[in-house]
Amino acid sequence: MKMKGIGLLLASAALSFGLGGAAMADGVLDRGMGSEWSTLDPHVVFDGATGWILMDAYEGLINFGPGGTIVPGAAERWESSEDGLTHTFHLREGLKWSNGEPLVAQDFVNAVSRTLNPDTISEKGYYFYSTVSITGAAALANGETTDVSTLGVTAPDDRTVVITLDNPAPHLLYLMGAFQMSPVHSPSLEASGTAAFGDPTKVVTNGAYAIKEVVPQSHILLEKNPNYWDAANVSIEKVKYYVTEDVATELKRFQAGELDITYDIPVNQIEALKAEIPDQVMIAPSTYVSFYSFNLTKPEFQDINVRTALAWAINREVLQEKIVKGGATPSYAFAGGVDPEYNGPQMPGFELSQEEREAKAKELMAAAGFGPDNPLKINVVTTVAEDRMRIAQGVALMWKQVLGVETDIRGMERKAWLDEFYTTNWDVFSDGLIGDFAGAETFLSYMRPSAEPGYNWVSPEYDAAMDVAGTKADKASRDVELAKAEKILLDDMTLAPIAVEPMRALVSTKVNGWIPSATGYYNSQYLRLE
Amino acid sequence: MLRFIGKRLWNGALTLAALVTLTFFVMRLAPGGPFSRNRKISKEVQANIEAAFHLDEPVIQQFGRFVWRLLHFDLGPSTRFRDYSVNDLIASGLPYSLTIGFWAMVVATFVGIALGILGALRRNGMTDYVAGTIGVIGIAIPIFVIGPVAQAYFALHLGWLPVGGMGAGWKSWVLPVLVLALPNIAYISRLTRTSMIETMRENYVRTARAKGIGGRRVLLKHTLKGALLPVVAYLGPATAAIITGSVLIETVFALPGIGRHFVDAALNRDYPLVTGITLLYGGIVILFNIGTDVLRAWMDPRLRHA
Repeated sequence: MKMKGIGLLLASAALSFGLGGAAMADGVLDRGMGSEWSTLDPHVVFDGATGWILMDAYEGLINFGPGGTIVPGAAERWESSEDGLTHTFHLREGLKWSNGEPLVAQDFVNAVSRTLNPDTISEKGYYFYSTVSITGAAALANGETTDVSTLGVTAPDDRTVVITLDNPAPHLLYLMGAFQMSPVHSPSLEASGTAAFGDPTKVVTNGAYAIKEVVPQSHILLEKNPNYWDAANVSIEKVKYYVTEDVATELKRFQAGELDITYDIPVNQIEALKAEIPDQVMIAPSTYVSFYSFNLTKPEFQDINVRTALAWAINREVLQEKIVKGGATPSYAFAGGVDPEYNGPQMPGFELSQEEREAKAKELMAAAGFGPDNPLKINVVTTVAEDRMRIAQGVALMWKQVLGVETDIRGMERKAWLDEFYTTNWDVFSDGLIGDFAGAETFLSYMRPSAEPGYNWVSPEYDAAMDVAGTKADKASRDVELAKAEKILLDDMTLAPIAVEPMRALVSTKVNGWIPSATGYYNSQYLRLE
Repeated sequence: MLRFIGKRLWNGALTLAALVTLTFFVMRLAPGGPFSRNRKISKEVQANIEAAFHLDEPVIQQFGRFVWRLLHFDLGPSTRFRDYSVNDLIASGLPYSLTIGFWAMVVATFVGIALGILGALRRNGMTDYVAGTIGVIGIAIPIFVIGPVAQAYFALHLGWLPVGGMGAGWKSWVLPVLVLALPNIAYISRLTRTSMIETMRENYVRTARAKGIGGRRVLLKHTLKGALLPVVAYLGPATAAIITGSVLIETVFALPGIGRHFVDAALNRDYPLVTGITLLYGGIVILFNIGTDVLRAWMDPRLRHA
């Protein structure tokens, strides 16, 4: 009897037409964002996809245009001193917050000092004292002083922001556009505390969009901000970001028209989708590089022959094209994959063919005392993410075939993997790094032995080369010095480069203006819906 | 009866206390912490963050703090979701999980019992076979297979219903509820059928019939009441399991329920959120079990003294 009820239910559902068309026609851009936002506080957040929302809702001194290019944001122009230490940004006239109140230069100063303030419990302060060294930033972050007037970010008047650095940093502009530079609307922060960021009734923003609806684990709805200075050129009225944790469901929602842009593409579907809807499959390099680090505290890895042999035995093209198949670009360098202007070195042996590398790898392994009777036995510590496991299995297979190395793959859940790095339990660490901007420096500064205890790599030459690079104020000559430092790193073979990981997304043909961006910025204000 | 309920409640509270204590400490044995990151942060900043969440205190002191908060019905702040407290997250997710669970159970109970009765009345007839087939499918094929297949057919192929999310009103609920109900329809119809067949052979049923009571009345008033005892025994734990086990359905259908928070919290070592949801889930399971016991005791007086 009751079956009839369900039949009726289904029949009535059938009467109303599919949702696909409706979702498209309402002028809302529907975007997948993967996992849920950890917070909407732009000075605290650390997950990438939330950055998209914040880039839509807030605007820094500069902005990232189509393809991630630097364009004027809240500042209409800026100039730098000869020595590269003082940078002056001139704000546009008549800037307003989403509630109509005037936006002033001090709001940007407050953003930096808030991020650095230990009470904010933000992990992003390193942007201002490590990625670039703003005068006084480290002392504020470490709690040595609470006097914000010591900070090298000042507002001499309502339309001028001056940033003073301890060392020149041609990449400063990238940070001035990142969502960490979102200005602070002090009245709402004072009135509501951090609830001022995640509560649609309280949040005040200065970007192209205002936050209208926040439903945990479900979605965030943005609506065009009429008070934005460039509102006339913002085409899409509403943007809805959906939590799309399950990549298979996300794909179906895209196919059903519920999503216009996805967060990712299921790796095992890439080929089929490329054949079916080639113009909607977007795969482009990101600032995420993956590499295998060798544990230099272990005797066998202190022999550079062993490290070189292992690095050479990996057939990177086969690994990515036949085994992982996730769209990553095979890489022979560490920092060179994301900035076309940077002309960096490749790892030793790059000039050889893969066959030659493999033949030499065997010799090196024998020279190190390992052979069929005495195989090298190592472990690889990796996360259990599907593509990471595929890389580990592929690499282990190649090491076995070429060198007879016996590899124990230890898959770990992500948090355990992160902590494992600081132990001495691993031999080879399936490593990765996401750059803060699309330049070589973000990767190379991470490898400074003085800055990273886990690698146990001590190289005064590398430090010295990085110090030299740090004195260069113009990007071209700085890149030359950075390349010298990268050569020292690669020549030491402390790591085996693997790949530059891709950004993967499905973008509906109804969305115009989507241009691949290595930094991963795809602001909705530059997109249009047909 | 009141003493019976009181005793059950007291036992339930003890179980819950043990469960939460265990979760609190075991969670901290897992490698990695809530603020393990692949980016190094300065020691001072790390210390600040840990101090803000009291993670720098000895574990036993953290436990004391947790219990003190709990007594004030405060489950503490979430370490992963900075904008929300654990109370906020539960308040936002639980209604979704409860609604799906409730409707799935309603559908499963009515459809399951109906199929079971029909199967028992026309044993080895067409209905019986159809019900049996649904039963096998529902039990054998897991949700993470049926869910995507249902999405592919009803949402992508036919376009009747949305694939996921909550954006389409009542239509958003249809697939998750049906898919979640399916395995329970299967269990309930099997249980009802077996139990009906047994009960129909009972002497009191034969007596009723011999007294000349009509077939429908015998079925509904005499047979069914006896036959439903095992079904009722199943319903309580099954409802609890449906609510607490909603993570798969929430993931497949992109629903903002609490199950995904639970898994996400464990992966992110969000200690307060994991402990909070464990407490909630434990409470739900225990309450439903007690509810079932009470219901059965009411239906079958013999059980009250057991």
